[in-house]
Parts: sequence; C-alpha cells; structure tokens
Amino acid sequence: MNALLVAEDVKAYYSSSKGLVRAVDGVSVDIDPGDVLGVAGESGCGKSTLSNVLMMNIRPPLSFLGGKVLLDGKQDLAAMGREKVKAQVWGRVITLVPQSALNALVPTRKVGAFIKDVLRYHLKLNAREAWALAEKRFQELGLPVEALTKYPHQLSGGMRQRVVISVVTLLNPKLLIVDEPTSALDVSTQKQVLKMLLHLGAKHIVRAIVFIAHDIAILRQIATRIAIMYAGKVVEVGPMERVFQGPLHPYAYSLIHSVLTPEPEVRERGLSYIAGEPPDLVHPPEGCRFHPRCPRSLPICSREEPPLIGLGEDRFVACHLALGRH
Amino acid sequence: MGNARLVVSAALFLAVVLFGLAGRWAYPVDPVSRVGGKLQTPSWEHPLGTDVQGRDVLAQLIHGTGTSLSIGITASVIAVAIAIVVGVISGYRGGLMDDSLMASANVVLAFPVILLLLVVAVFVPVRSPMVVALLIGFTSWPGLARAIRSQIMSLKEREFVFLSRMTGCGGVRIAFVDLLPNMMTYVFTSSVVIMSAAMLAEAGLSMIGVGVTKGTSLGTMLFWAQLSDAVRRGLFWWFIPPGGVLTVACASLLLLATALDQFFNPRLKER
Amino acid sequence: MLKVSDLTEVYTAGFLQRGSVVAVDEANFAVQEGETVSLVGESGSGKTTTAHIILRLLPPTSGKVVFEGRDIWAFKTRKELKGYWHKVHGIFQDPYAAFNPIYKADRILYQVFNLMDRGVRNRRRLVREALEAVKLRPEEVLGRYSHQLSGGQRQRMMVARCYLLKPQLIVADEPVSMVDASGRAGILKLFLELRDLYGTAVVFITHDLGLAYYMSHRILVMHKGRIVEEGAPEKILGDPQHSYTRKLIADIPLIGRKWEDI
Repeated sequence: MNALLVAEDVKAYYSSSKGLVRAVDGVSVDIDPGDVLGVAGESGCGKSTLSNVLMMNIRPPLSFLGGKVLLDGKQDLAAMGREKVKAQVWGRVITLVPQSALNALVPTRKVGAFIKDVLRYHLKLNAREAWALAEKRFQELGLPVEALTKYPHQLSGGMRQRVVISVVTLLNPKLLIVDEPTSALDVSTQKQVLKMLLHLGAKHIVRAIVFIAHDIAILRQIATRIAIMYAGKVVEVGPMERVFQGPLHPYAYSLIHSVLTPEPEVRERGLSYIAGEPPDLVHPPEGCRFHPRCPRSLPICSREEPPLIGLGEDRFVACHLALGRH
Repeated sequence: MGNARLVVSAALFLAVVLFGLAGRWAYPVDPVSRVGGKLQTPSWEHPLGTDVQGRDVLAQLIHGTGTSLSIGITASVIAVAIAIVVGVISGYRGGLMDDSLMASANVVLAFPVILLLLVVAVFVPVRSPMVVALLIGFTSWPGLARAIRSQIMSLKEREFVFLSRMTGCGGVRIAFVDLLPNMMTYVFTSSVVIMSAAMLAEAGLSMIGVGVTKGTSLGTMLFWAQLSDAVRRGLFWWFIPPGGVLTVACASLLLLATALDQFFNPRLKER
Repeated sequence: MLKVSDLTEVYTAGFLQRGSVVAVDEANFAVQEGETVSLVGESGSGKTTTAHIILRLLPPTSGKVVFEGRDIWAFKTRKELKGYWHKVHGIFQDPYAAFNPIYKADRILYQVFNLMDRGVRNRRRLVREALEAVKLRPEEVLGRYSHQLSGGQRQRMMVARCYLLKPQLIVADEPVSMVDASGRAGILKLFLELRDLYGTAVVFITHDLGLAYYMSHRILVMHKGRIVEEGAPEKILGDPQHSYTRKLIADIPLIGRKWEDI
C-alpha cells in the first residue's frame, strides 16, 4: 500500500531573538490512506509547526533545514519549494485548517458567494453549476443549505468551523490537516465537528486526516493512529488502541494517564504528573530530550539520543528503555 | 536600526532646545531693540540680517525658539494632565460620569477653536506665551483622554485588577497604581506628539494674530514677516529661519515619537 | 457557610436599555465548610458571573449572597470588606492576565498583607513558606517579573497567595484550563492539600466535567444562567436527570468508552 505522505527526518527551525528554536527536529512520520493520524503533545512540542511543514507552508521566521516530504511516494515537496507546492498541491491534494480558522471567512461576503467563487475558479463551472455543487456538498456533510445565504457573523462558532472545513475540502484533497479545530467550541458542538470530519473520510471526500490536538480524549475517539511529540521530536507512534492500552515511552505513558475525563478509572488511578517544564528548544538537553524529567531514565539517556525505531506492527518508539538498550 | 532613529531624532531635538535656551548666551543680542539698519541681508554683524524695524533676526530666532518650545511643553503638560484625569475617571467609573465626561470631550473636540480664540482675542488683547499655552493645552486633551479611557476600560476587567481589588484596594488606588503605569509609555509618546502639535498650533495662531502678542515666538516672527510682505519681497532671511526651525523641531519630535513607540514595543521591530 | 439565594444578574446594553442578557437566573445553592463544590457549565452559562458576584466583584441585580450569616452586599466599611476577602478569595484561570506586567511577580503575594493586621512581621519568611508549600523554589521566582516565569510557575504563585491567606473558601475559576495536561495534577494536588491541611472549601468554576468529577463532593450544572441539576459526582454521571446534563455527558469524549453515534 502506497503511503499518502511520508515525512523523513524533517527539520524546521524558527529564528528568534534568543537563537534558533528547533521546533521540529528530525521528525519522521507516514500517513496512509484511511488514516486518521492524531498528533498529540503539549504546548511547544512542535505539532503545529509540523502541520505547516507537512504542506511546506514555510515562511520566515520559520525555515526548512532538511529532510524529505514525499507525496504518493514520488514527489518530494521539500525539493519543490513553497511556491510550487502552493500552486500545485494546496487545496487540491493537501489542505490545512489552522488554529483559529473560525475567523478565516471573509466577513463581508456571504458564505455561499465565497464558495461559489472558489468552485468556479478551480473547476471552471458556471454560476449555477457551482451553486448546485455547493448545495450538494453541504447536504452531504449534513450542513443546512440555508447557511450558504448567511454572512459569517450570523453563524455560530461551530457552524463556522464546519463551513471552513467544507470550504477547504471542496476540491476533494487527499489529505486534510486540522490543527486544534475544536478547542474554542463547547462539548456538543465539538462532537458535531468531529462527526463531520469522520464523514469526510467515510464519503471519500478526503483519503486521510491528520488531527493535531492537545486533548487526548478526542483523539481516543476518532484517531486510528496516534503520534506523540515532545520537544520537537516524535517519541511514539502506533495504532491508537495499542498505544493507549500500553504506551511504551514514559512521556506517552504520563500524558495518557494525565487525561482528566469524568470516569471512575481516572479517579481511582489518580492523575499522572510530570514535574518541571518542557526544555528550551534553543538549547535542548543532551541525549534524550525528556531525560531530565523522566522518572525512569537510564545513564545512556543523558548521553545518546534514542532513535525512532520500529517494533513491528506499525509501532515506533524513541526510548532507550523501551528498546531495551542499556 | 530603531536605535539609530531614536538617537538621531533625540539629538536633533536636543539641538533645537539648546539653540533656543542656551543660544542667548552665545549670542547676547537683544531681540526687541533696534540694532541695525532696516531689512539688512545677512552679514557678519547680523548673521540672519534684520527685520523691518531693524531688529536682529537671529536674536529673535533664538528667543522665539525658546518661547515656542516652552509653549509646546507647557501646553503638552496641561493637555496630558487633563487627559489622564478625565480618561482614568471616565474609563474606570463608567456610567453617568463616563457619559458626561466624554460628552464634554466631544464638545471640546468639535468646538471651532478659531471662534474661541477670536473671542479671547477680543477680551484679552495682550496675550503672553503662558496664555496661549493654556489655550492650546485646554483644547488638546480629548484625543488622548479617549485613548486612555478605552485602555482603562479594557484593563479593568483583567484578572490582576480583580486580585488587587480583593486585597481591599480602592478604585482610585487601582486606577493610578495598577492601571495607569501600564499606559505610561503610550502617554509619554503621545505627549511628544502633542507637543509637536502645540508648537505648530502656536505658530499658526500667532501668525494670524490670535496667538502670542506679548513676546517673541516663532509664530510672531512669521506674523511680522507676513505683515511686511516678506515672501513677495524676497526677504528670505526673515521668513525662512522661523519656519525652518519649526520644521526641524516638529519633525524631530514626531520621529522621536515613532522611535519611542518602537523602543517600547519591540514587537514592532520584527518584520 | 455560604448561601446563595435567588441570585440574578441581568446585563443591559445601551443607554436606553435596548438589549438585556440574563446572565444568572435565580441561582440557589449553598456551600458547607470544607466542601468542594463545582459549578459546571459551558461558556455563557453564567458560572463566571456567579463567581464574580460571590467574590464581591460584581453586584447582583437581585438576590442575596450570605456568608456566615451576613449579607455580603450589605457591607459598608472597608474593614468589613477586607475581612470578607480574607476569608473568601479567588483564583483565576489566566496565569498571564493575573499579573500586572509592570510590577514584579511577587507583588501578588505581598499584596495580601493588606488584608491582615498591620503588625504582621516576618513577611518575607511567610512569603517564602507559602512558595515552598506550592513546591516553588523561592530563589527561582522572587524578584522576577511575570514574563520571566512559566505558566505553571505563575499558577502556583496564585495558589501560594491562598497559602498566605488561608481563606475559608476559595473560588477557583478554571484554575487549570490554561495549564498543560502533565502539569495539571500538580496544581490540583495543591488544592487537595489546602483542603486536608486547613479545611478550605473550594468552589470550582469550570467547563470540564472531568475536573469536577475528580475533585468535588458535589456538582452543580449550570445552563443559560440556571442551575439545572445538582448532586454527587457519581450520581450526576451515572444517573443524570436533566436533558442538558444528559447531552453534556453523552458528548464528552471519554477514554474508556467510544462514542457509538459518530
């Protein structure tokens, strides 16, 4: 099975007044058709930067410093450069819904007019055909057709988010990347948006989704695979159920056990806690980046950085302890 | 790069200040008495020549700059003081107090100042620089007051204000100890801009005769020059210097204001 | 200890009062000594407004808040107010907005001596002890400005404020929503310690039912300004009565159970 998108050892750094911030520092991850890949991690782990890197949306102060991003196993988006990728790939093959996209709709145009223009431009349809397609797409996704006649401010936050998602997927891109699409929404609206995302996959409007979130409980509900990031690196990847039942990396373990859901197990078990703060990405620690806070670190952890190694059955982990290396 | 702008503009303005305040020691000529022939072109004896009454133009320029600067500063201080009091009370109190203070600000803003000045000119025919400074100061506060008010209104809902209130701090203390210091950089930058506007206002008013009548300012120089038809008669040594100094002073002040803005908000520097 | 009766807060907009929003609609509840109660609701439910009224920051349109038998909105003297705030204090959610950027961070600790007797000596020692109680190293935070501290450090300093005051009731508005998942347990533990050591009652204001379930003796569910359901955590979760509560529980993503209708 051909992977849809493969990132190989990608590095992207920010230049800041304090130096080079190694936001994404050697990340390898692949996305297959049918995947809903959840990317989890806390603030500063690099997951949002990664979402931009995957589609080469890289502009100063961010720079791409190395690695490959292979689309369909053939084209290296990194070699193509931002402009070419923007012209050929964005919207058609890969599309991104960044954080706070709720406010991305032009406030002075009705939603339907905007969508119509997008369709007419890209698919060369006339006004009537474009409108019909817009209506059809809204119906497919369970959105009220009346919303097409409204201005963005007349729609609720959740509706706007769903409209934005439907707009970016109008051209049926293969890969949809969403970054924290539901953090500003209440619980019920959040579920509607998640439902819609899964529908996009079920109806083959998109082939795969990368879902970036800090709330692991959401990922538990909709992701098929999960990648956990820490300090610019991926520390564990694998099928969602397996990683949840038995996380191998100590950070992944702590993260999963610090989720606060209203369930008896959580109350009985108690919440996991990691003392300290994530490291400074300008001068990250030697060896494994998590070792200063790791409850189970070994001597080798402070000397050598653990590589991300496959353990079979699609599980990868970057940890000396988990890999049995002393 | 921002630092260069700060240094240059501050230096320029300081030069003007030095000229206006200390110049009279370097060039101790009386600006109001006849010291030479009428309308003499620049010479070694009178580097900027003389005006229609034989008075030394350079001496006038030095004194005039000093006067205009002091009017500028005084007006700015008055305007800022009023703006702070009105803005803070209006923003923090809200309600009826806010509505009435803002209504008065609107009145001041909308009022035709020329009319006011003409009326004043009738009742106060001899106007010292201080009078003019007061007039300008009392009409320049609404803009800053509104800005302060809106800042206060947004800041007063911040959690740190709640925390201060819960330690028993009263409204006045919160407004002046907690809130106002957060805006001082903005207020300071604004006062620089107001000073520049005040100097220009003084020059314009004095030039048409409703400003300073007692004393020498850059504006009065222009008034007398204009009265003697200096432009048409080509008396460049008389009408160019006051305008020139005024331009340098105001331009350097405005440049200083933008440099200060950048200095206080480093984020503006990042491109 | 604290009793809220028929509390109503109506916001009106415009000079001629054209638009009005009922933020809190006849809320009634009580908090006993040492109890941990959570007021759970989504944004716009009126929970933060209720918190501000209880903390004496916002006057109610109607209704009463009675603390230890006295109507808190009938206080007249500064002394009475200070006395109240010594016993009932607040912790807020945003560790950034809680600090005045132009002053040093420890000001939020030294400020509270205003509420105590004038003759409090050893202020520095008390401040250091409070910082140590929240597992902060005094050398790391004293003398620093808030932008030099991390979000977790700042939130701990807010809790340290309560260690200094030892109030009888803390109203905590979303105290961990802006803290990373891995740091939450640490902050929550501090609340539990305050409860165990000093018998402090806590009212948590939160949208997170998980937090409410984990920490409280009793949960109150707020919706559109009204308290629609009240009960012990197990009961609210196991046997929700009100339709809003039921929908809320059905829509929360859980770890142990997957949604069927998605």
